[in-house]
Amino acid sequence: MTTIAFIVQQTMIFSIPLLIVAMGGMYSERSGVINIGLDGGMIMGAFTGTLFINMMQGNISGQGLFILALLVAGLTGFIFTALHAFASINLKANQVISGTAMNMFAPAFAVFAARLVFGTQQVPFRDTFFIRKVPLLGDIPIIGSLFFRNAYISTYIGFLIFFVAWFIIQRTPFGLRLRACGEHPGAADTVGIDVQRMRWAGTLISGFLAGIGGLAFVVPTSTESNATVYGYGFLALAVMIFGQWRSPKILGAAFFFGLMKTIASAYSAIPGIKTLPIPATVYKMIPYIATLIVLIFMSKRSQAPAAEGIPYEKTGR
Amino acid sequence: MNRKKIFALLLALLMMLSVVAACGNGETDDLHKEGKVDKDGKAEIALITDVGTIDDKSFNQGSWEGVVQYAIENDKTFKYYQPTEKSDAAYINSINLAIEGGAKIIVTPGFLFEGPIHTVQDQFPEVYFILIDGYPHKGDYVPDISDNVIGILYAEEESGYLAGYAAVHEGYRDLGFMGGMAVPAVVRFGYGFLQGADDAAAELGLAAGDINVKYTYVGNFDASPENESKAASWFQEGTEVIFACGGSVGTSVMKAAEKADAKVIGVDVDQYAESETVITSAMKNLKKSVNDAIASIYDESWEGGKAVTLDATEGYTMISMENARFEKFKQADYDAIYAKLVAGDIDITKDTDESGAQILEPTEIELDIVTVENIK
Repeated sequence: MTTIAFIVQQTMIFSIPLLIVAMGGMYSERSGVINIGLDGGMIMGAFTGTLFINMMQGNISGQGLFILALLVAGLTGFIFTALHAFASINLKANQVISGTAMNMFAPAFAVFAARLVFGTQQVPFRDTFFIRKVPLLGDIPIIGSLFFRNAYISTYIGFLIFFVAWFIIQRTPFGLRLRACGEHPGAADTVGIDVQRMRWAGTLISGFLAGIGGLAFVVPTSTESNATVYGYGFLALAVMIFGQWRSPKILGAAFFFGLMKTIASAYSAIPGIKTLPIPATVYKMIPYIATLIVLIFMSKRSQAPAAEGIPYEKTGR
Repeated sequence: MNRKKIFALLLALLMMLSVVAACGNGETDDLHKEGKVDKDGKAEIALITDVGTIDDKSFNQGSWEGVVQYAIENDKTFKYYQPTEKSDAAYINSINLAIEGGAKIIVTPGFLFEGPIHTVQDQFPEVYFILIDGYPHKGDYVPDISDNVIGILYAEEESGYLAGYAAVHEGYRDLGFMGGMAVPAVVRFGYGFLQGADDAAAELGLAAGDINVKYTYVGNFDASPENESKAASWFQEGTEVIFACGGSVGTSVMKAAEKADAKVIGVDVDQYAESETVITSAMKNLKKSVNDAIASIYDESWEGGKAVTLDATEGYTMISMENARFEKFKQADYDAIYAKLVAGDIDITKDTDESGAQILEPTEIELDIVTVENIK
């Protein structure tokens, strides 16, 4: 039981940031803008978030500080992604190139700014956010030890974000309009939807979520941020594609990736797997192999938004 | 269109502001972080980092501190260079850059420089090279060292030995060793750690199998979530203390230890300030050795053309007692074992056997009480 609880708790650490960022990516892509700058957004969010914690930790601590820092991280991603939105929507630049530029800019900026402020590349922070046991909920048999012990509040925020984001894109007029702009912007335009504005909204939401995801990734796994999220922004893109741009599938994909990551690094603690003659590298490969397989089988009926990556020209319709 | 222009202008302004802010801060920059150059931008003493950075709180930082200490005390110009990538070509490029930048002394921490230094040592006979953790060779490990080069090696097995010895005396029974990559220095730390734990267990009269050590090389020197997860899984299984022996890997292990209420042993430099979980650090005195080597050039007592191994007899290998968080292991205990080490009473197996062949697996080390669980 403790082993299972441990695996679940550890899986959360990997899955939640992937889930948040992949949902962000979904918003951007379903509005018609490819955002491969998610990795950069995560780095920026992690950087300002930890910087905020570092500066405020003398005054406040605990969950309040973490939530504020997540907001700061989200806002950073929001502002940062505005560059990408401007380039790809208003200037109609190539979205892949713009996104790549963001990914190259973010770590360089984080290193530069951190050295200015601290003199070192790393931004250290004190972790006062770890929850050993959620009061009351942590005492529920089975579920308590699986989900309400040894956790971070970002786990619950991540689930909240998922359900809210799912509801908004699937059940609100705003969501419908946003999706229309990603499928057939010309049609959306004829019924009076401002395509540019919807695409701005989708891209900015993706930036906001990428920033949050960046901090939610760094806090549970390190004692400092170091201008990198180890390519988890790209992994989130893979999760989004694996999840075929649909919320429930993205949820499943994020947990599948997280579980495989956990097994790959913590296999020595899992009885049964430990004694199997399979090298750990196999588990590391599984998420990627699975993505490839899904892409091969799905390529015929891929559910990618039809108009993603194509700048919208009014005259072209 | 108008809105677009205003927006572009605002963005441009933002960029300029951040650059101005950067310049404003530049003057107050700490010498320790930036180095010091003369009016032509030249620096006499140069350090070239390997895969880490000068604030990796470990290997590169220790060497850099040695450079800083000497240069400030003797008013020399100094600077560091960071290669663009981990390759011989990039390293050689940085060396050329440093020499063009006026370097007369080049400090290169890391065995990764063995090849690059071997390539350039005869091209620049007037430049002194101080190579830490290695010596130049053609790739066959047969020393080929020019007179302007010194290779500095450490008896890391002694530091590792002391760490293992102290951990067992402190009362820990389930230990872990998490190395970065299986490079000679890391391997020596690890093998020493096993033997120190074994000897302490013998002194305490423990039975065979009473001490269990999980042993692995994670394959990188990064602070990554994978490393954190791996350490967390060990702690979950009951490991009480992990010797985190691989640069930034320590950061991940400390995070896992904080969550699991477990302990960590740091490496290379005293890492007590990194986390409350660090009970001690297995150190090698990088700062002193770099400082001494540079000093020998200026006071003309330079003895190049060879590789030296620095050990406990001159205080180059040790564990941190000053900032240790031990409860049972006392300074007197440490002094006693250290005296034995200095006197040469303890025979520690290194990463190679008598014939010079490499010992590849930790399970090949002769241990009486400690059982090693080699995790690959």
